[in-house]
Amino acid sequence: MKPNTRDIVSAGILLSFALVGLLINGGLFGLGWEQHAIGTARRMGPGYMPMLGFWILMGLGLAVLVIGLFNGPEPLDRWTKSEVVFLVLGAVTGTAAGLAAARMPGWLGAGWNALGIGLFIGCMVVSVVESWRPLFLVSAAFALFGLVLEPLGFIVAITASVVLSSFADKTHRPLGVAGLVLFLCALCWFVFIWYLNIRVPVWPEFGR
Amino acid sequence: MDLIANLGHGFSVALTFNNILFCLIGCIIGTAIGVLPGIGPVATISLLLPITFGQPATTAIIMLAGIYYGAQYGGSTTAILLNLPGEVSSVVTTLEGYKMARRGRAGAALAIAALGSFFAGTVATILVAASGPLLTQVALSFGPADYFSLMFLGLIVSAVLAQGSVVKSIGMVIFGVSLGMVGTDVQTGQQRFTFGIPELSDGVGFVSIAMGMFGIAEIILNLERPESRNVMSGKVGSLMMTRTEFKRAVPAVLRGTAVGSMLGILPGGGAALSSFASYMMERKISKGRHEFGTGAIEGVAGPESANNAASQTSFIPLLTLGIPANAVMALMVGALIIQGIQPGPRMVEAQPDLFWGLIASMWVGNMMLLVINLPMVGMWVKLLSVPYRHMYPSIMIFCAIGVYSLQNNVFDVYQTVFFGIFGYLCSKLRLEAAPMLIGFVLGPMMEEHLRRAMLLSRGDWAVFIERPISATMLAIAAVALIAMLLPAIRKGKDAALQEGG
Repeated sequence: MKPNTRDIVSAGILLSFALVGLLINGGLFGLGWEQHAIGTARRMGPGYMPMLGFWILMGLGLAVLVIGLFNGPEPLDRWTKSEVVFLVLGAVTGTAAGLAAARMPGWLGAGWNALGIGLFIGCMVVSVVESWRPLFLVSAAFALFGLVLEPLGFIVAITASVVLSSFADKTHRPLGVAGLVLFLCALCWFVFIWYLNIRVPVWPEFGR
Repeated sequence: MDLIANLGHGFSVALTFNNILFCLIGCIIGTAIGVLPGIGPVATISLLLPITFGQPATTAIIMLAGIYYGAQYGGSTTAILLNLPGEVSSVVTTLEGYKMARRGRAGAALAIAALGSFFAGTVATILVAASGPLLTQVALSFGPADYFSLMFLGLIVSAVLAQGSVVKSIGMVIFGVSLGMVGTDVQTGQQRFTFGIPELSDGVGFVSIAMGMFGIAEIILNLERPESRNVMSGKVGSLMMTRTEFKRAVPAVLRGTAVGSMLGILPGGGAALSSFASYMMERKISKGRHEFGTGAIEGVAGPESANNAASQTSFIPLLTLGIPANAVMALMVGALIIQGIQPGPRMVEAQPDLFWGLIASMWVGNMMLLVINLPMVGMWVKLLSVPYRHMYPSIMIFCAIGVYSLQNNVFDVYQTVFFGIFGYLCSKLRLEAAPMLIGFVLGPMMEEHLRRAMLLSRGDWAVFIERPISATMLAIAAVALIAMLLPAIRKGKDAALQEGG
């Protein structure tokens, strides 16, 4: 037996997705929440096609799993201890921060801000580990953009997220980043504000 | 002749100032991203989708199409001059093209790549124009069961031809289909898998998926790899081909055009597969096959013609049947749907401006690309001196504002973050994102046709085998599947794709 770690993890993702889907949708021998009516083949309910899809996915996931047990060996890159620790830590703090923010009054709990805060904090925590930075610092910068955009306008949002994302690559120089920020502000103003005229604040609006 | 009158109408649409301008912009952007490694047409088109929504549908599609075939031109430039494929479809061009450049024949290689592409583009344009209305006639006689089977076939073939494990690819297709089920059920109005989130009642954001899985995930993966770009040193030299070179290139261009046109129509085909197929063919049958490996002009002329022909004929299934053949076409479907146009066989009649205008613009665009590329090669190569550390924040910011501008809602921004991380995970696990996107686009349509077919047949599944068209489609799908499960053929495909990139 030569296990192919990559395939086994893939199978795990497909299988768990199918299982959760079936539990929510219904069609798993009466188990789960059964949110959608299945109906009959002649008159399909809203749950019929999802049920079909998830069962096929389940079968394919099993096939990937069985094949993956034999077509290896192909190990995934091993994660170091700090990589694993901070990944878990990031997930926990991110979720906690998001849930806490949702209960807060005012801006923190309004709209989707709590989701953004959770994502941002979670990604930032994982970014402590250098090898995670390309993935999670770029994601954090993206989330930061969403958080800053509406209250502070898009000039501040671009500046903040470009500066944050620049730490993902070690070859950046401060002057280059400043030039990039200026260039992107000008380009985005031209394309999105002047040409497309989207409704988004450009500058911070205080006292609203 | 109807065809000529229709094409005339198409040119009258394509040659309006606005459409020429956006065709040019599309071609320039396409060439640029073709030259630059690390960003491909799929990422670019998903990046620019939100920008096109302010435009009329025809203009938007003309521009997006320009990016796709423009990238095929641009990709060959760096492949020949720097041994650096800007796109997957020009990987094989490096094999002979770079050798030619080392022999001092870079100019000739560039010239035949551009001229061959132009010829192939012209032939493919005519092919699209001629086959469009014909196929549409056939498609109009399709019942719901036939449609379902056709889409099923499309999904299977696109998964079979995708890189890597067939089972995993089909898994990703179904994953995409399931993701397409999120949102309001069209027939009963019930909310499915929305978890009470109002933003999900229209379904998971198509643009968020495309940008996250292709744009964000791609820049993260590129960031992880250390940059390795050598500075351009070689000279382009004379663009003129010698008489013998020209004589040898002509049959290769013809063969490449034929191969590309055919493979482009296949679901899952498209530019990358056809350039590889053409290279294999030239290496086996061309007159200069003994020179392969030392810079044979056939090895440039064939694949470059093939990938351009394919990038255009892959519009045929989209425009006539409403079925996307590859990820780029799935993006086009998304663009059309957001514009309020349902792709399908009725599009030729209902949207003549769009159909004929797009076809005419392809030819106009190919003409522009010839001018953009040949005399200005040096300028494009300079683009490579833009370091990636400046490119990735720009791509990120464009994604972020673009996805926000769709509905002025930050939820879409956060949704994109999730798909970015998921896309990164998928590519690490070799789960292909392209089949997933196609599944996501086709899923809701398949459900609708399945329900209608079963209602008409009173719940009898045999309808899919009893109708001849449907049965044929299913049979082809079965053959394709079985063929790929045979070890010998599978190994051949894997080897082919590996060599090709």
